[in-house]
Amino acid sequence: MAYIKFRCTRVKMKFTTITKWEFKGTLKSKKFMTIFFLQISVLFLMIIIFNSFVTNIESESGISITPSLNGFASMDVQDQSGLISKYVNPDIITVIPSNYSNALNNTVNGKTTGFLYVPGNADREIQNGQTINMVVYLDTSDPKSSVVSGEVNSMAKIISQSYSSTLAASANPQNTTSPSINQQSTGESLPLQIIKKVMLVILLFLPLLLFGNIIIDSVVGEKERKTGEILIAMPISHAQIIIGKSMAVALTISLQVAMWVIILLLAGFHIFNPLLVFIFIILTSIPIIGITTVVAAYSKNYKEAGIGLSIAYIVIVGLLIIPVLVYISRKSFLSNISPMTIVMRLFSGETIPLGDYALTLLSIAIVSIISYWIAIKLFERDDILFGPRPGVLRLVFDLITFKKY
Amino acid sequence: MDSNEVMININSLSKSFGKIQALDDLNLEIKRGELLGIIGPNGAGKTTAIRMICCILKPDLGDILVKGKSIHQDPILIKSMIGYLPEEPNLYERFKAKDLLKYFAELYGVPKENINDRINELLELVGMTDRSDDRINTFSKGLRQRISVARALVHDPEIIIFDEPTMGLDPATANSIRNFIRKLKGQKTMILCTHYMEEADLLCDRVAILNKGKIMDVGTPEYLKSKIHGDVILKIKVQKHGDLEGLKHKIMEFESVGAVNFVDREFLISLKYRNEISDIVDIFGNDVISVNTKEPTLEDVFIHTVK
Repeated sequence: MAYIKFRCTRVKMKFTTITKWEFKGTLKSKKFMTIFFLQISVLFLMIIIFNSFVTNIESESGISITPSLNGFASMDVQDQSGLISKYVNPDIITVIPSNYSNALNNTVNGKTTGFLYVPGNADREIQNGQTINMVVYLDTSDPKSSVVSGEVNSMAKIISQSYSSTLAASANPQNTTSPSINQQSTGESLPLQIIKKVMLVILLFLPLLLFGNIIIDSVVGEKERKTGEILIAMPISHAQIIIGKSMAVALTISLQVAMWVIILLLAGFHIFNPLLVFIFIILTSIPIIGITTVVAAYSKNYKEAGIGLSIAYIVIVGLLIIPVLVYISRKSFLSNISPMTIVMRLFSGETIPLGDYALTLLSIAIVSIISYWIAIKLFERDDILFGPRPGVLRLVFDLITFKKY
Repeated sequence: MDSNEVMININSLSKSFGKIQALDDLNLEIKRGELLGIIGPNGAGKTTAIRMICCILKPDLGDILVKGKSIHQDPILIKSMIGYLPEEPNLYERFKAKDLLKYFAELYGVPKENINDRINELLELVGMTDRSDDRINTFSKGLRQRISVARALVHDPEIIIFDEPTMGLDPATANSIRNFIRKLKGQKTMILCTHYMEEADLLCDRVAILNKGKIMDVGTPEYLKSKIHGDVILKIKVQKHGDLEGLKHKIMEFESVGAVNFVDREFLISLKYRNEISDIVDIFGNDVISVNTKEPTLEDVFIHTVK
């Protein structure tokens, strides 16, 4: 047995080896690639929904939270004067010129919801100040009949008001102009800001919350597959193992966030300072991965980790979004404690004082240090890996008393 | 190579898991180039002991010095000196065989220029050159164990620790692993944890018998066998035995009897001479089913020690 002689070097930065292999493994994984492209598809879907929301909110009709009524119902109309065609809302009711016998057939066959009869000289009678009688026949078994009835009534009111004001103006010819309000405004309304800014910032931060499963797989997987034992037997510290695995996830997130930013830019979103936005999102991923690693280091299996992760992410999302909403309504300095606030301000093109950046960076640093410290301490405890696993209260006590384990 | 150099020195090692005392004041020395076997029943503390040598577990009390370095002070250096083959050949399923070896070679700090040659050498050694590009998840248990052996040796360690290396393997694969250990004998300092007494008897220079976290006895297989006071083991299988303690007492009155054990309706009696065999058998009268004699083995020592 001829051995190749060599001397192993003691490399201090061995976590890069773990990062390299974990990252390669992630990119080669079919499961990951499927998730990756599914996420991109979700992003495209969200862009479409987002654009539709913004178009809606920016239109004169304001925000509509109900589904569009376009082409909701159709109605046969007999109206020789053409009065109805001018006032009926075509987005709701499609008018089908008809007569009584045709309309009856259409209604019976379910083609239309009802029939509206308008007297032939209706326009002249209105101009003469006479009352006209329109008749509407409705198929009450059709659920749309109430909408059609309401629409016909409101149309009648509009016609009545319109002709009343015409008559009033003709009785007093000096008053030929009607008062009008010319409204001008600066800035965006609060709902518009919330939808445009918060939705975009959530889109940008979404990849950070979608990769929890990778770190769970990486750390809890070592326990489930029982490969943790040989990894710990390597000449590498527990801290380097945790950092190496976390770095691999951070790299994966960077790749995804970069793609998302590019897609959003190509989709026509206005993102000022895209590079700074990208950097802050990646920096934010560090404490989030740290918190995820704490959950993974303590969990015995995937199921437990999944539950822990759900709870942790609810808290994380709350802590990220609430300061953003506070900033939109009050412009509070403290709301910069959430990196989401600074990212939102960055892509909005605001001029941000250095103090605000410092607060964000400080919060990222503090949460990162604490979370990684806890994760490493948990990973170093052999009772967590080999049992019997201590309870959470016992761990908290050991951590806060800095008990050497 | 100084064969008297103490490579591993275990001092007053204790470890408990909750209320279970896994190791209790364990003391042991292993010399350079020695192959020490550790045998003991399930839960004796064998795996706990070797996990501590590998710095995977931390002791509650005591210390282990590996080439004079303490596991408390320099665990990373100690880990780099040891090749560890755990009981279960759990490996990263997603890796190809050669990638797995490359990953661990990099973690052990094997110089880049040596990695490929070393991998090829090890794959040849374990007879897996033709499977180097196959994924681990396609391997049988035997192949996994072979690639695990290669993994444990990738950094050419001075100390190799095998935990039940042949358990659950077919006889041919188990034999190839034993041959492999035999080849390394004398070149490496090795610890072999095993349930198979014949394996320990065949391979080990010394054997330590561990029971309930304590070393019950340690020595060469021959020395341990001699300690059960007999040149021959008399096995008497009986239908019923009545007063067991009374029978044992009667047997012990014979001059040539060194020890008496009773396992599964069978008396195992170690004798110095054969001339008293018929007299001993007569004690059981018509209750005797069968009578056999054999040379004492490590298994007899084990049963005698941990009874």
